[in-house]
Amino acid sequence: MSIDTERKKLVTLVGPPNSGKTTLFNTLSGKKHKTVNYPGATIEYSISSFLEQFDIDAQLMDSPGIISLIPVSPDEKVTIDNLYNHPEFGKPDVVVVTVDTSQFSRHLLLARQILDSGFRTIVVLTMNDLLKEKSFEIDEMMLSEILGCDVIKCDPRDVKEIEPLVKLIKDNLESKTVQVHKRDKHTEEDILCIYREIEVLEKKVLKDLNTEHHENPLIAQANKELVIAGRGSSIKMPDSLTMKIDSVLLHKVWGIFIFLSIMALMFTSIFWVASPVMDLVDTGIHNFESFVNMGLGDNWYSDLLAKGIIGGLGVVLVFLPQIVILFFVLGLLEDSGYLARGAMIIDKPLSMLGLNGRSFVPMLSGFACAIPAILAARTIQNKRERYLTIFIIPLMSCSARLPVYGLLLSFLFPGKYFLSGLILSLIYITGVIISLIVAGIINRYKRAILNFEDNSSFIMELPVYRIPKLMNVFKDTYSNAVQYLQKAGPTIVIFSLILWTLTNFPNRTVNDTTDMPKGDPSVQRLIEAERINNSYAANIGKVMEPVMKPLGLDWRVGVSLIATFAAREVFVSSLALIFKVTESDDDNMSRSLINEMKNAKINGTGQNLFTTATAAGLIVFFMLALQCISTIAITKKETGGWRIPVMQIIIYTGAAYLFTFLTVNGLRFFGVN
Amino acid sequence: MTVADLHSGQTAIIKNIDFSHPSSCRVVEYGFTPGQELQVINKSIFNDPLSVSLRGALIAIRKQDARCIEVFLPNEH
Ligand SMILES: Nc1nc2c(ncn2[C@@H]2O[C@H](COP(=O)(O)OP(=O)(O)O)[C@@H](O)[C@H]2O)c(=O)[nH]1
Ligand SMILES: [Mg+2]
Repeated sequence: MSIDTERKKLVTLVGPPNSGKTTLFNTLSGKKHKTVNYPGATIEYSISSFLEQFDIDAQLMDSPGIISLIPVSPDEKVTIDNLYNHPEFGKPDVVVVTVDTSQFSRHLLLARQILDSGFRTIVVLTMNDLLKEKSFEIDEMMLSEILGCDVIKCDPRDVKEIEPLVKLIKDNLESKTVQVHKRDKHTEEDILCIYREIEVLEKKVLKDLNTEHHENPLIAQANKELVIAGRGSSIKMPDSLTMKIDSVLLHKVWGIFIFLSIMALMFTSIFWVASPVMDLVDTGIHNFESFVNMGLGDNWYSDLLAKGIIGGLGVVLVFLPQIVILFFVLGLLEDSGYLARGAMIIDKPLSMLGLNGRSFVPMLSGFACAIPAILAARTIQNKRERYLTIFIIPLMSCSARLPVYGLLLSFLFPGKYFLSGLILSLIYITGVIISLIVAGIINRYKRAILNFEDNSSFIMELPVYRIPKLMNVFKDTYSNAVQYLQKAGPTIVIFSLILWTLTNFPNRTVNDTTDMPKGDPSVQRLIEAERINNSYAANIGKVMEPVMKPLGLDWRVGVSLIATFAAREVFVSSLALIFKVTESDDDNMSRSLINEMKNAKINGTGQNLFTTATAAGLIVFFMLALQCISTIAITKKETGGWRIPVMQIIIYTGAAYLFTFLTVNGLRFFGVN
Repeated sequence: MTVADLHSGQTAIIKNIDFSHPSSCRVVEYGFTPGQELQVINKSIFNDPLSVSLRGALIAIRKQDARCIEVFLPNEH
C-alpha cells in the first residue's frame, strides 16, 4: 500500500502515430527527445519529469503510436499492456490523448477507446493550423461536452501555447483517480459502432470557416452537413502538397527510380562527403600521438599511451564523420516522411521473398546498428516475417564495420575517394542482395525453418510530407554519434590495454635491460620483432594460425579478429596497436597505419601480409560474419530462444570463412596478389 | 467489387467489410467503414500496394488486404 502512495504520479501520452505526442513530450519535459515520422519508430518509452516552470510533481511518459487498443504487432501489445499497467510506474493517473484534427475521425477512435476504458483523460487537439488551411475548425467546448472529458486545442511545438494544458493536467492530477477496466472485447463491430458515433459527432463539432458567417444559420447548417458528408469536400482530402509530391515519388516508374537513387546517394555520400574531414582528423591524431611521445620520452607508459590508447581511439575517431553522415541522412529521411513511402514501394518485392514492407525500416536501421534494428522489427505483425527480418539484419553493414571497410579501402585504393565511395556502395548493395538471397532461400524452406501462422498483411499510414527540422535531425545525429562513441570508446580502451599487455609481455623488460645501443633503429626493430614473436598475443594467435593460413593471413590478424567479438570497430584499433608495436619506426612517427600494413610481412616468409587479395578477403569476411555479441544476445531475446542466433552464427560465420577463402585464393589464382 | 479492383484515381464508396478476412479488424481500425468515400491515389510498382485517400489521410494497403473492402462506384447505386 505504502508503495502506491509514495509512487510519483504518472501522466502518459497516448496517440496515433504522428499526432504530436513526442513533440508535446519535448515541450512539456524540456528534454529534447526524438520526433519521428515513421509509424512505430518510437519503440522505447521516454520518461521524464515536467519542466520545472510548470510546477507539476509527476512523471511524464511518451509512448509509441497506436491506432486502437487492439494490439496486432508485438510493439502494440507492449504499448497497450504498459498503458493499463506499467511494471515499474503503474497505471497512469492521467492519460493525455493527442488527436490530429486534420484526420479527426480516424484519430478520435483511440481517444474514444481510452475513454471507454475509464482512464482520466485529456484530449489534446493538434494540427489545428493544418485544419484551418482547409478552412475548418473544431468546436472544443462541444466536443468536451459530448465526450465528457477535458478537451483542449494546442500546438505542441509552441511552449507559449502550452500553459492552459499545463493547468488542465494539474487539475486532473488533483482529482481522485478512477477505476480502469481493461476491455479485452473490442470486436470489429465495436469499432464500427464507435466510428458511427464519431461520424455523428463530427458533424456537430466541425465548423466550416467559409460558411460559418452565412446570413442564414439554417442554410449554413445545411451546407455544413452537405460538405462533411459530401464528396470531394476539402476535409476529406489529404494534404494537397503531399498528394502532389506523391504523384512523383510514388509514381510507378519514377518512384522506384527515385527510391534507388536515394539509397545509392546515401551510401556514396558516406565516403565522398566524409573524406576531407577524415583526413583532417587523421593528421590531428598523429600529431597528438607524436606530441605525447615526445613529451613523455621513450618509456613504457609513453608507449602505452601513444600507441595503445590514443592510437586505438584515434583510428576509430577517424571514421566518426562517416558515421555522423549515415545517421544524418537516416534522420532526414525519417523526418521528411519518406520512410513510409519507401516501405510501400518495397513491399511487393520484399513480400515475394517472405518479408514485408515493414521490414524496410529495420533493414535500413541495420546500416547504423543491428540492435535498434532488431527492436524495430517488432512493428512487423506476422511472426514469420518478423523472424526472417531479424535473421537477415546482421547482413546489413552496420556502422561498426565502416572503420574496417574504410581502412581496407584506403589500403586498396589510396587517395582515390571516388572509387572507394563507389566500392563502399557496392559493399552495401552486395550485403543487401545477399540478405535478400538468404531470405528467399529460407522462405523457400519456411516449413522447416520458420513454421508459423501465416497472415501476412501491409496497411500503413503515409504521413504528410514535412520539411525536416534540421535542428532536430542535428540533435538526433549528435546523440547517436555520442552513443556510438560511448559504446565503442570504453571497449576500445579496454581491448587496447589488454592487447598492449599481451603484445608487450612477458618480454617487455628485455628491451629495457639490454645493453645494446638504443638509438639504432634497425637493432631496435629486431628487438621488437623478437619480443612480439614471443609475446602472449603471439601464443594465442599461433593457435589460430592453421585457421588463418588458408586465408593468407597470420596470427596478428587472427588476434584482431578475436577482439572483434566485443565490437567490430576494435579490429582497426587492435591492428593499429599490433602493427605499431611490431613495425614501429621511430624516425618516422607519422607513418599511418596503412603504411605499417603495407610493410607488414608474414613471419619468416618475406611475403606481404596485406595484399589486394587478403584485404579484399577481409572485406568479404566482415560483410558476412556474425561477430557481435550484443546482436546475438538481442536476437535470442527477441526470438525467444537460441535456435535463430545459433543458426545465424553457424551459417554466417561459416559462409564468411568459406567466401573469404574463395576470394583470397580466387584472386591469387587470377594473378592478383 | 473491392478496393483492389479500382484504378488509380477512381473514387468509390464502401459498401461492406468482409469480416471473414483475417485483416478485417485492422482495416476497420484504419477507418474503412461502410458509407465512407475513398479514392485510390497511387499504385506502387507491380500495382501493389495501393495508396488510398480516406478520411483526410493517405493509407498504403496491400491488394490482398484491400480485398475485404467491398465498394460501389458513386454513379452505380
Ligand atoms: N503543423 C503542425 N505540425 C505539428 C503540430 N504538432 C506536431 N507537429 C509536427 O508533427 C510531426 C510529428 O510529431 P511527433 O511529435 O513526432 O508525433 P508522434 O508520432 O505522435 O510522436 C512533427 O514533425 C511535429 O513537428 C501542430 O500542431 N501543427
Ligand atoms: Mg513519437
